[in-house]
Amino acid sequence: MAFIEIQSLFKRYKDVVAVNRIQLEVNKGELLTMLGPSGCGKTTTLRCIAGLEKPEEGDIVIDGQPMLSEGFVPPSKRGIGMVFQNYAVWPHMKVFNNIVYGLKLQKISRQSIRERAQQVLELVGLDGLENRYPSQLSGGQQQRVALARALVTNPKVLLLDEPLSNLDAKLREELRFEIKSLVRRMGITSVYVTHDQAEAMVISDRIAVMDSGNVVQIGTAREIYEKPANRFVADFIGTMNFMSGEVVQIPQDTDAVYVRTEFSEKMLCTTSSITETTPGKKVYASIRPEDVEVFTEPPQVTENLFKGTIAHKAYLGNFLYFFVSVNETMIRVQVPHHLPQEEGQELYLFLNPQKCMILF
Amino acid sequence: MSRGNISLAALLWLVIAFLVIYPLSILVLESFKIAKTGGWGIGNYIEFFQDAYYLKTFVNTLFLSTLVLLTTTVFGVPLAYILARYRHWGKTVFTALILLPIVLPAFAGVFAFIIFFGKYGTVNLLLMGIGLVEKPINFIYGLQGLVFIQSLHMLPFIVLGLSAGFTNIDPSFEEAAEVEGASGFRRFFTVTLPLCTPSYLAGAVLVFLWPFTDWLTPLILGQVDFLPSVAYINISYHFTDMHRKYMGIVAVVVSSIVCISLFLLARWWVEKKKYTGLSKGTTSEGRVIEPSALVKSGAYVYMIFIAILVLLIPIVLGLAAFSRRWVFEPFPTYWTLENFRLILLESPGLIKNSFLFSGIALIFGIAFGLPVAYLIVRTRVPGKDALDFVITLMLAFPGIAIGVSYILAFWKGIPLAQYWIIMPIALFARRLPYFLRMAHSSYLQLDPSLEEASEVSGAGKIRTFFNISLPLLLKGVLVGVVMFFIMAFQEISTAVFLYKGGWETLPIGIYLNWHRGMEFGIAAAMAFLMIVITFILLLIISRIGGGVLKAAWGAGEN
Repeated sequence: MAFIEIQSLFKRYKDVVAVNRIQLEVNKGELLTMLGPSGCGKTTTLRCIAGLEKPEEGDIVIDGQPMLSEGFVPPSKRGIGMVFQNYAVWPHMKVFNNIVYGLKLQKISRQSIRERAQQVLELVGLDGLENRYPSQLSGGQQQRVALARALVTNPKVLLLDEPLSNLDAKLREELRFEIKSLVRRMGITSVYVTHDQAEAMVISDRIAVMDSGNVVQIGTAREIYEKPANRFVADFIGTMNFMSGEVVQIPQDTDAVYVRTEFSEKMLCTTSSITETTPGKKVYASIRPEDVEVFTEPPQVTENLFKGTIAHKAYLGNFLYFFVSVNETMIRVQVPHHLPQEEGQELYLFLNPQKCMILF
Repeated sequence: MSRGNISLAALLWLVIAFLVIYPLSILVLESFKIAKTGGWGIGNYIEFFQDAYYLKTFVNTLFLSTLVLLTTTVFGVPLAYILARYRHWGKTVFTALILLPIVLPAFAGVFAFIIFFGKYGTVNLLLMGIGLVEKPINFIYGLQGLVFIQSLHMLPFIVLGLSAGFTNIDPSFEEAAEVEGASGFRRFFTVTLPLCTPSYLAGAVLVFLWPFTDWLTPLILGQVDFLPSVAYINISYHFTDMHRKYMGIVAVVVSSIVCISLFLLARWWVEKKKYTGLSKGTTSEGRVIEPSALVKSGAYVYMIFIAILVLLIPIVLGLAAFSRRWVFEPFPTYWTLENFRLILLESPGLIKNSFLFSGIALIFGIAFGLPVAYLIVRTRVPGKDALDFVITLMLAFPGIAIGVSYILAFWKGIPLAQYWIIMPIALFARRLPYFLRMAHSSYLQLDPSLEEASEVSGAGKIRTFFNISLPLLLKGVLVGVVMFFIMAFQEISTAVFLYKGGWETLPIGIYLNWHRGMEFGIAAAMAFLMIVITFILLLIISRIGGGVLKAAWGAGEN
């Protein structure tokens, strides 16, 4: 049984459905990320777990205890820790008082409050700053205070609502790893919300991708990147070439499909859901830019070889980006940075059928 | 930095020097004059603080201030919370009603409550009528009445400040506390309220200073042992007794010093502790809660209770205005327009004077306020902050200080006070910050690039101002204009020192009618007339679109 179970959760604001009967499970000790664009319902779901929003339908079970179906459990009684997007570090309290606020509400001796606070301060690297006011701290330090405050009560569940989105890029990358290792070490079950796919991939054990109030895919970073469930996921995570087309032929006993696209009569692709693929169906033949193989002379392959011209070239340091025009269709290609080709030159593109997937 | 701006700044400083700095310096100077010897020294002050009586008035005033602040806080905190946080019907109506006392003349409340709660007022007569009490209860004559009336008058300042605070603080501060395990009251007292202290303090300081300014309410209620009342009596009635006059002046200076220092202290503290700037992602609505049915009904009962107290003022004055011989009866029985006939027949000059003086003061206000707002917001003229500072300080100055200093400064030497123009000038000086704040905030909202575009197109600064800035500022400026007019229209504490026969305004007329003949009917009719005029002006404001609330707040805010 999962540690957190979200059962048919439904929440709407007036006429807008924010969360559309989603099912989600978080295992004990796991860090699950809800990833999606703004307005996809990820923050609303998190706030429902925290008890800061009351959903219209569904239930949330934390550690076997229902939070809704047997009477609403208020946030203060849920045993959670939460890190807010804007830190929400109380500006009228010193760092120390911010951190021990929740501890003071429990019946703990002053001595052990001090000890706990000291431990957590060291854990997040804030020792020595406990007598500062938040306005005397940098953004990153305030974030650490928020984290310390959320962790100090040893919560059953840690909720993080885009905790790094207000920090600058360098610090954000640093803190990603820090949060990850901290949460791992403490073995605390965590739900993390972000719209940053790189952040999600670095930090999570599993990712739940959300779109318009629905969970569209759940899996590890690798699963989601390599086998996206649909066009939305593939587009949101990483970059993908989408070539709209139509299924023309399905060879027996394989997971291969022939697709007609704008620039070729027959293109061989792989499908993960053979049952949904029927001849005549409108699909997207999709391939990641780094999976496209580039040749200057035609290689010895029979399928999926196309001739194109480099329309644009972009230098990105560790690699080059080509926009290759194949019969008016633009295909993005990621190639090693030392390739000498210039704009206007011709290339052969091999769209490996194993890497070329069918998406809907 | 253009030469034009500097000359403009110099001109405005000259006005400030003449109308504010010079008279106030004379006031301070006079307080060092020794009556017996005719020499100078700090003798008056030493005597003031050694004299048991004056010391008592000083302590009394501090005590009264504390009581008024406590009362307004105890009543204002829940009220502000209800208005800011609960989703309920009639929010606008209740807000407007509860804020009404800001725009009502202070003395209107005094008269209304004397009629209603007085010894043989409506409530006592009703209570005796049904046999609940034998002797009338003294509701109003005494400290309790003083605290009640002053608190009701100043309650809006607390409510406005706090409800803005409750709305503006970032909801996640409270959510974080909730998640940490603090529910209900604990969260409110450890997080919500402390975060709102700056906005509370902005209003609280004005509340605390009110007993140092209001000499009229204690006087009417027969409680004279307070600084401003003593100052008024000493200066107005004992001007032949030089010693008492100087002690009065010392009282005025002491009041002013208390007011200014507390005001500056609060301002400094608020600046230091501004929390709102730290939060991000605040919603415009703030954290609005749907309360339970029980809490909601309680909130309604509470709001209606306060609203009724406020509404008593215009209702009771209305009853009194349209009746005569309303004595020893819970409600009037003889209805008449006689009071209004008397006002219009015997003293139409009062109404004319009120409009004339306030109107002229307003013209001064605009002519002065707009350029000052321009200088402060749009230029880097040296000393502009000092200019802003001096003008804002006028918010804290007791009206009595301005009145007394004007009569001292403009009697001999510069004999301005011998001409009626002194009346509008004094009103202008006293209410200056009200217009300036409004013009200032509208100027801040006006995107400079709109003006720059005009200048780039070839229009000069003055042309740009009239073609671009003024039309865009008009809305905010108009709200400021009407607010200024309302405040000038009600002004009494300054004007009462300066008027001569024929210069009486409506507020002075009300005071004189009460004072000379206890003519409650006529005084009530005048007060009712003022409320009607104020109400019409407020309607104009809400038509302009600024909203009564915004207008009142823009004026009261510091």
